[in-house]
Amino acid sequence: MEALGRILLVEDDPKDVELTLTALDEYNLANEVVVVGDGEQALDYLYYRGNFMRRARENPAVLLLDLKLPKVDGLEVLKQIKGDENLKLIPVVVLTSSHEEKDMVASYQLGVNAYVVKPVDFHEFVNAIKELGVFWAVINEPPPGSIKKR
Amino acid sequence: MHLQRYGLAVVSVGVASAAALLLQHFQLRDAALPTLLLAVAITSWYGGPGPAVLAAILSLMSVAYFFAPPLYSLHIEPQEYPYFIIFASFAALITWFAIIRRRAETELRQARDQLEIEVAKQTQQGDLLNLTHDSIFVRDMNAMITYWNRGAEEFYGWTRKEAIGKRPADLLRTVFPKPFEEVWQELLRTDRWEGELRHTKANGLEVIVASRWSLRRDPQGRPLAILETGNDITARKSWEEEMQALNHELAKRSSALEASNKELEAFAYSISHDLRAPLRHTAGFAELLRKSAAASLDEKSQRYLIMILESAKRMGSLIDDLLAFSRISRAEAHFSNLSLQQLVQEAMAEVGQDATDHQIVWKIDPLPEWYGDRPMLRLALVNLISNAVKFSRTRPQAKIEIGCIEHKHDHVVLFVRDNGVGFDMKYSNKLFGVFQRLHPQEAFEGTGIGLATVQRIVHRHGGRIWAEGTVGGGATFYISLSKITGAN
Repeated sequence: MEALGRILLVEDDPKDVELTLTALDEYNLANEVVVVGDGEQALDYLYYRGNFMRRARENPAVLLLDLKLPKVDGLEVLKQIKGDENLKLIPVVVLTSSHEEKDMVASYQLGVNAYVVKPVDFHEFVNAIKELGVFWAVINEPPPGSIKKR
Repeated sequence: MHLQRYGLAVVSVGVASAAALLLQHFQLRDAALPTLLLAVAITSWYGGPGPAVLAAILSLMSVAYFFAPPLYSLHIEPQEYPYFIIFASFAALITWFAIIRRRAETELRQARDQLEIEVAKQTQQGDLLNLTHDSIFVRDMNAMITYWNRGAEEFYGWTRKEAIGKRPADLLRTVFPKPFEEVWQELLRTDRWEGELRHTKANGLEVIVASRWSLRRDPQGRPLAILETGNDITARKSWEEEMQALNHELAKRSSALEASNKELEAFAYSISHDLRAPLRHTAGFAELLRKSAAASLDEKSQRYLIMILESAKRMGSLIDDLLAFSRISRAEAHFSNLSLQQLVQEAMAEVGQDATDHQIVWKIDPLPEWYGDRPMLRLALVNLISNAVKFSRTRPQAKIEIGCIEHKHDHVVLFVRDNGVGFDMKYSNKLFGVFQRLHPQEAFEGTGIGLATVQRIVHRHGGRIWAEGTVGGGATFYISLSKITGAN
């Protein structure tokens, strides 16, 4: 596991992971990314549990979160993060396939920092991911306790 | 009256004295006592106690004066005293009998008068009870019907004669809402009971009666009789039952509808998530392939890749439009007052962003205030206006007109007219179907869902949509909106 990643990507679909990483790679951000495949692992990572017991005691600079996830779904992960004193400052960007207004409203009510619907068009997708990665991982000054830029 | 009665005393004593004197004259001695006692008796019988006392005193005086020595004097010799005492005792006895008889007679008369009054009163009440349409009957404590009014005769179909003396439970085949014992206890405790009874009429029809019972007691508090007043509620009851059944059916249907709506929602949710992902992958990897293999691919292969990309993109917009379309039906409508004029301006502004590449002459008539779901009506206008813009862009001078041809208090008809390519009226029924298109994709882009969406929005506003057009002569789309259904 990449222990020093500034971007935590929670995504169960390997094709989406590959496309996202490809997009981020154009800005040399791919090696900053830690990928977990479900909500449970995401929480394990954030709480230093299971496989992530020995990782450095630092929060990611940004969390890219899919909503439809195995085991613990995205909205539940978001709820736990925003309800935890130590985690709630981590910027969370929901990345989802769906235009469902219900999901969007629920996400904002839980305190999501941004909500992005993945475009079908690859160029748009790449642009969206790039902008997100660049903004949250490079331009944005992360809250105290986050992993610093190398 | 008094004079006559006391006169009778004087006359009868006078006559008796005269008769006694006459009899004495014919040597019939000692006739005075019985004759005068007879006079006292007659007086007391017809005159009452007062005249009887007077007659007795007069008789005594008469005896003393005419018959006892010394004659013609009221003085009485001591040896005559027993004679007078016996006479006085007899007179007193007779008077006493007269008094008792008279008292009895008076009481009897009073009782009779009271009875007459009672009878008159009862008859009057009976007549009044006969006037009401409610059925009223009385049963005594042996459960025998003792009174049966005209309402009961008409309602149940048994005459008074047939009903009186019968037991109500047998005659009417009463079905109680709860055990009779409970009804009875309540009646004895509170002197009344109310409830719904099932009765069977003479013709065999079963009826439901709202029945009110009152218990009548004698002055000592013992139950005497029960008055039952009944009101036919069969019709109301069956109506209520019908309503209940309908409500039940409605609840069942609406829960079924809710379930199918939920299912539809889950289905749409699944489509929006799971169908778009593979499309994104197809487009993404095709794009990556085009980039990485650009040098090694010939022109034909490059074109294939572009076709894959375009198809994926089109599929994406089809899914998005279809979801938006289904959302129109699923979403709850929120009706409010709005300005159609302003809505048209907003819709034009939104369409205008994509329509800057050709010249359009707009003609917007004044539009009324209306009542409807703002986002939905806005979407409908955007679709209609963008269609007008799209299909008139081949014209050197595009003209779009928006107005209102009918405005009544409860409905309004708007139109959007363009001078574009128009359509053949024989396909007008295909205009509003989902994915129905009258033009090739190359000429006019689109998913064929815009007018279907407009139609659905208009339906949700209690209106309809129709169109007129000719090939090459432009098209006019009309939508009617109704106000009355605004409440749903």
